[in-house]
Amino acid sequence: MVSCQTTISEAINQALHVEMAADDKVICIGEDIAGGAGVDGSEGIGGVFGVTMGLAQKFGRARVIDTPISETSFVGMAIGASMTGLKPVVEIMFCDFIGVCFDQILNQAAKVRFLSNGRINMPLVIRTTMGAGDGSGAMHSASLHGLLASVPGLTVACPSNAADAAGLLRAGLRSPDPMILLEHKGLYGKSSDAVDEWPVAVIGEGRFVSRGDDITIVAVGAMVRVAEAAAKKLALEGINVEIIDPRTINPLDLKIIISSVEKTGRLIVVDEGPNYIGFADGVISAVTQSCFDVLNAAPRSICPLSTPVPYAAMAEAAWLPSLDQIIEAANTMMSENYGK
Amino acid sequence: MFGKACFIRAFEGALARAYDAGEVPGLVHLCTGAEVAEVALADALDPAVDQVTGSHRSHGLVLAMGADPLAVAKEILGRIGGLSDGLAGTQHLIAPENGFLTSNGIVGAQVPLAAGAALTAKVKGAGGVGVAVFGDGAANQGAVLESMNLAVALELPVLFVMENNGFGQSTASTYASGSTSFTQRAASFGLVAMQADGFNHIESQQVFAQAVKKARKNTPVFVEISVPRLDGHYYGDDISYMPEAHMKDTYDDPLHVMRQFLEESGTSASVLESIMLKQQARAVQVVAEASSAIKTGPLEIKAWHQSLEAVRG
Repeated sequence: MVSCQTTISEAINQALHVEMAADDKVICIGEDIAGGAGVDGSEGIGGVFGVTMGLAQKFGRARVIDTPISETSFVGMAIGASMTGLKPVVEIMFCDFIGVCFDQILNQAAKVRFLSNGRINMPLVIRTTMGAGDGSGAMHSASLHGLLASVPGLTVACPSNAADAAGLLRAGLRSPDPMILLEHKGLYGKSSDAVDEWPVAVIGEGRFVSRGDDITIVAVGAMVRVAEAAAKKLALEGINVEIIDPRTINPLDLKIIISSVEKTGRLIVVDEGPNYIGFADGVISAVTQSCFDVLNAAPRSICPLSTPVPYAAMAEAAWLPSLDQIIEAANTMMSENYGK
Repeated sequence: MFGKACFIRAFEGALARAYDAGEVPGLVHLCTGAEVAEVALADALDPAVDQVTGSHRSHGLVLAMGADPLAVAKEILGRIGGLSDGLAGTQHLIAPENGFLTSNGIVGAQVPLAAGAALTAKVKGAGGVGVAVFGDGAANQGAVLESMNLAVALELPVLFVMENNGFGQSTASTYASGSTSFTQRAASFGLVAMQADGFNHIESQQVFAQAVKKARKNTPVFVEISVPRLDGHYYGDDISYMPEAHMKDTYDDPLHVMRQFLEESGTSASVLESIMLKQQARAVQVVAEASSAIKTGPLEIKAWHQSLEAVRG
């Protein structure tokens, strides 16, 4: 362990360097990930968020491949390359763009291992960004983790900090199933503890962000920080919150959530996905089916308004789940005592 | 080559009988009419380094590449011992060990996957090619057009093979395509574009050999090969939309044309007849054996459920 801080963006960049140096089969594919392709003397840009900075210089453009703006063909190419022995990390600039190439993800990537009856594994990581809060508007701000997690065969991960982002990326390259790694744009610049060598994460293993006896809050991605801020305020009122970050949406670590709800009897899911048939609904459904008898209050989901993401700053802020909503829900739930 | 094509024709015939007998779980899309073209293509490839992806109509291709016919038949009939133990079926045949990476239930979706196989071959420097086989029905899919552009932009060792049988399901390709010169279209992407007459097995072999040779050197190539579709879109399809001349006239059958050519070139009719009968008997026997195999059931799917279950508590 070193006691310094790093950003998610730097952590992923370091993990990519480690993987590409260790294994010739790891390649990167995407739009502008090197940058400046076809421009004489260009230094490149290293991705629109700078996450793939320096990779082309270190490993060459034969392994760090800039593509045309043509998601169906290059995501499909990455899938075919994975099926034939490479370990591609392919970038889709914004998860909204998955609509362009959804067949390749829904019907090809997700189904190959099953259709081959386990003869073909798919070590493939599709890196993409998610999330609102930066004024990018309706087509560059979506949170599609719930939608993607409903497809059998896809591993879906939403890291909330540097170590998880790097560790999950590395885990995806060792997994037989394709992983979609949703990196929250709003977290790229946020710092968290750096870890030596960025150990490989365990897919499907959640973690406790904070411990408490009164209310369980489940959150992923950027919502973990919102939950932490709410927990601080609630602690001042004497309400102790236990925050769980499941890290992967599919598979979901229900065990860690149940272990907490059995203690608290109260569950809030704060999520940036849709408030209907999204991740929050999935967690609440799984918990109520597993341990209905321990609930002291009706579980609550705190999700965005059911509209596309608005553009103007104040409208966008009103659209996103807020600290106040969490505090209000927590206070209401503390007054409910169904189980007692 | 004649024997292989005869076997595929007989295999499809035996499957049709199995379908009639209720042994096939769903619908089957037969490749009748394309056998000679597909055997000619396979002839130009090396299953050790090359990978082919195909459409929903790929029984002939996977057999031409050398997959075990019994495992193919069991897969199509949904039986244990099929290529994927009967979980995948007729539209999802997978035999990478024979150079057949996968067929596909989505029209045109197999084409980017072949670009991926080509990328692997290029990165590994193994000298292989990725081959995407699709029909005129897929010619207007974005996945196909995008892949053609990508192959040229990234200089991938890809061969695009378009079997033009004139129909996408019941719709004529002359109706569906704005420009009906597919070679012109491919050439405009910067591909080397070639044409082959699927009724002429020698020409087909030559064109494929030349195309594969170019593709191996990272020059992506497009080949349009004309083949008839001797049955409907799927077996049992109402083919009233097809003109009379298109329906099983022996002069419109490349296998018949090949047989006549071989006879005229000196192979005796009785030798050709005996090859055909032998392959027919073999195909009937293979499909019969597959029909008697154990049907895939709850155990097989439950094992997968454990592996892919999302909520783990």
